[in-house]
Amino acid sequence: MTLSSQDELLLNAYVDGELDPIEASSFEQRLQSDAALNAQIETLRALRGALRSDLAEDVPSPELRRRIMAKLNPPPRADRNSWMALAASFLVGAVLAGVTSFGALNYRTSDELAEQVVSAHVRGLMAPQPTDVASSSHHTVKPWFNGKLAFAPTVADLGAQGFPLVGGRVDVVRVEPVASLVYSHGKHLISLFEMPNTSGASAPVTSHKKQGYLALSWSDGAITYWAVSDTAPDELKNFVRLFRAAAANS
Amino acid sequence: MPYLVDAFRLARWLAGSRADAEDIVQEASMRAFKNIRGFSGGNPRGWVLTIVRNTSYSWLAKNRPKDVVFSDDLDQHHREQIEQAATDQMQTPETALIAKLEAEQVRKAIAVLPAPFREILVLREIHDLDYRTIAEVAALPIGTVMSRLARARRLLSATIATGIP
Repeated sequence: MTLSSQDELLLNAYVDGELDPIEASSFEQRLQSDAALNAQIETLRALRGALRSDLAEDVPSPELRRRIMAKLNPPPRADRNSWMALAASFLVGAVLAGVTSFGALNYRTSDELAEQVVSAHVRGLMAPQPTDVASSSHHTVKPWFNGKLAFAPTVADLGAQGFPLVGGRVDVVRVEPVASLVYSHGKHLISLFEMPNTSGASAPVTSHKKQGYLALSWSDGAITYWAVSDTAPDELKNFVRLFRAAAANS
Repeated sequence: MPYLVDAFRLARWLAGSRADAEDIVQEASMRAFKNIRGFSGGNPRGWVLTIVRNTSYSWLAKNRPKDVVFSDDLDQHHREQIEQAATDQMQTPETALIAKLEAEQVRKAIAVLPAPFREILVLREIHDLDYRTIAEVAALPIGTVMSRLARARRLLSATIATGIP
């Protein structure tokens, strides 16, 4: 089968979602009676799937982040409180998103990090709903993070143990998107944050108190976890113990 | 998604190796940083990718001058390749065949595409940009983006159907 070049462009634009609704609907009518066109569409979609199949491995090494940070040191200062300075600082953040999270920046202490995750937790409670994807099933919540993060977060179902999953959202901590899972316990909500661990070393659970919230943090090597809640300390510790056990078995 | 990952992916597809891509991204970061005042608003991701694209080509021109084909500089050989692929449209691989391909094979098939087609394909499929943004990043009219994308896919299909090199 040979397509006219006009049809070929139409076909490509259709697969890319670039046709306007009127064009798309008339194209779909043609599709119903044209097996060859359908086969072409399947081929284009299969190519896309093949191209995207190993995206997760297609990420830069932590070493690159370190190199860029070293080059940019000392960090720029916003000279004036102008719009441009604001835009510039936003863009530095955007271009190097993730870079600033690198552990070599020792002025970011874990205490500051605790402040940020507690703020993110509180911000979540202020919003009309604390999640962007609401579901008690990890089969729904886990895939929702695809394409939003450069890593696959661990999502554990702890409903049977008294900590049902409420849903998930993406927060930004130290200019990097992080996974936030929301669990409930009685009337309390627990935010569990997951972020890439740039040091690569495992760390035991440490505890931080901020504004009446308890934040527990630990690391399993690749990922650093922060659990934040206003529930009783023993309950949060219990949650962390259950989550770690579930994560170890998953 | 952090733009650093986006930047790295584009550079890797254009340069073909992880190590070169990291050098390019490092250079592009410095350029982006210096030229931040040149950013006039709009799509920051497109802006970053534009810098990475331009840095990739200047890096390749400097370090691998023999490999570079610039977008507005298609040579006769490539033109013939495209014409050949256009007449070979019958060679559409089975969907099942594509599904079985290893990531490595896909990578190789894309690596043999001429750069002007490869970059459009990568911006569309890997970075999921719409036609308008691709046109901005590659500094091309939208009609050229559409025809190059169609040809890139046709070439890729033909490469796969005839066996990966």
